[in-house]
Amino acid sequence: MDAQLLTSGVIFGLSIGSIFFLMAIGLSLCFGLMRIISLDQMLYYSVGGYITYSLSLATGNVWLGVLGGLVVSGIAALAVERLVFRRIYERELTFSMITSFGILIGGIGVIKFFWGVVPRPVPVPIEAQISILGTDVPVYRLVVVGVAALVYIGLWLFLNRTITGKAIRAGIEDVEHVEGLGINVSRLFTITFIIAGSLSGLAGGLHAPLIMVDPTMGLEVLAFVFMVVIIGGLGSIKGTLVSAFIVGQVVSIGSLIYAPLAQMAPFAIMLLILLIKPTGLYGSALLKK
Amino acid sequence: MVKAFHWWGGILLAFALLAASRLFLPLPFLNEVVIFSIYTMGCNFLLGRVGFISFGQPAYLAVGAYATAFYLFYFGTNPYMGILVGVLAGAVVSGIVGPLFVRLRSDYFALVNLALAVIVFYLMQKVLAGITHGDNGLWFLTNIASTPVLDLSRPNHFFIFAFLVALAVWAFYKYLDDTIYGACCLATKINEDKLKFLGYSNYNVRLLAFVIANTTTALAGAMYAVYLGFVSPEMSSPSRAADPVVVTILGGVGTLYGPIVGAFAYTGMKDVISKYIGNWELFIGFLLVFIMLAGEKGIWGTLQPRLEKLFSRNKAAAQTAENEEAKR
Repeated sequence: MDAQLLTSGVIFGLSIGSIFFLMAIGLSLCFGLMRIISLDQMLYYSVGGYITYSLSLATGNVWLGVLGGLVVSGIAALAVERLVFRRIYERELTFSMITSFGILIGGIGVIKFFWGVVPRPVPVPIEAQISILGTDVPVYRLVVVGVAALVYIGLWLFLNRTITGKAIRAGIEDVEHVEGLGINVSRLFTITFIIAGSLSGLAGGLHAPLIMVDPTMGLEVLAFVFMVVIIGGLGSIKGTLVSAFIVGQVVSIGSLIYAPLAQMAPFAIMLLILLIKPTGLYGSALLKK
Repeated sequence: MVKAFHWWGGILLAFALLAASRLFLPLPFLNEVVIFSIYTMGCNFLLGRVGFISFGQPAYLAVGAYATAFYLFYFGTNPYMGILVGVLAGAVVSGIVGPLFVRLRSDYFALVNLALAVIVFYLMQKVLAGITHGDNGLWFLTNIASTPVLDLSRPNHFFIFAFLVALAVWAFYKYLDDTIYGACCLATKINEDKLKFLGYSNYNVRLLAFVIANTTTALAGAMYAVYLGFVSPEMSSPSRAADPVVVTILGGVGTLYGPIVGAFAYTGMKDVISKYIGNWELFIGFLLVFIMLAGEKGIWGTLQPRLEKLFSRNKAAAQTAENEEAKR
């Protein structure tokens, strides 16, 4: 394989890994704090993509669309949290999983109702190419990586430097003690859920110009996001970052070697890691209490 | 003896109702219901008895269906052989992935299974497109030879066959419930530590349950393949991953009659509603959320206590009469 192909492969892998990271972080945070598995994150991803499509069509500015997608999916997450999740935090994990799958499927129905089933293209906001090691690389992909890096840094600062963030981290360790300290856990849950939903929406908006938006786009990334979360370990932010990077590169480099590898190789890696460590790379053995 | 009659009597009654419905309901609908209820029984066993939720059932369904399809398309013509091949393939595949999967916690288990369904989907759609013909699917309806006693290529004979198979599968699960193994399954769901203290291996119990349930699912897949004479990757598409779980919950998790009640209600609603609303997912998704929030008991789970109350009242009356008879 020549170096040019490899460079573009690595950049492609980085950008796709960034998208996976943005989505998986929501799943991971929700699991860590609320002990729920929120499959409806894939719905916010689709919503983000579609809002980006509609707004960029209306205003001609894709960035405005991405921003709109972030906000709208945050609002959708708030609504879902208030209407549904609030009632099921106490229940078993599988319970939240079934319910959120219902939301995901129902939400896809809503999207089909509003936008139809035809895939829609979203224009790429930055057409320019930049030369890295003699290879032309689309700038937009680098921007996606940059946004993901900013989100990681922002999230790190939020979790380590603010009281709310510290409370969230403490909640991941032990929710009852946090409640005992007089912190409003219910509000904490809502904030976390909105953050997770908005990040998924951001991922959808950023991914939209690279693919076409269609109603089942959430289901298409579902398997990859799962693999990212499982490899990294549920509830670990660092693990999610590492495994998103791994999965992104495996998907990208794998598809350069032999196209079907893109789908199969991450799965093989996941099985291998589960065989060695059933809780994922950085996952703890935490169970719902 | 009386108790045994009571247990089996319920099953016979349910199936008698199903057989009777043959008189006034269309055949394709009933075939669909019967196969779907076999499909759901596997999921019901996993979810209700062992406490494993699996969104990956379509994977095993597709394994069974494709194994049957390969046999009928490339090798033989006998549909019974085809179904046998499908069931064996299901047992082999679940035997291979089982030891890996059942070690996992229930949350990881569900995620890994869903990932498997997606992988099988890609495998059938793209990777093995040379053999599976990708999205076009395999058509082999004309390859199915007519067999002497029950001619599976004819829908009305197929219904009798599917009916008998469903009855057998049902009786098998009923039998499992009464054995020590069935008790172990329930125990591993409720308290695995205590089961360990009793000297049983959680891992073995779960592995066997996993293989049994997914072989049942593969059987349903094989039946679908023979019934439709056609398989396509659509079968294992992730958007259908929730179907068996929805039906299990709709019917009532862990109840014996849940799968058939659920399959009946689900297929019926699908037929009726898709006539009025084209948007089927919208409905099924929100129905699922609604059932979960309304107490997750499902149709049969809600109905059962009431029926029992009704019957026990009659029984109590009969018993007091009997007692008075004895006094005299």
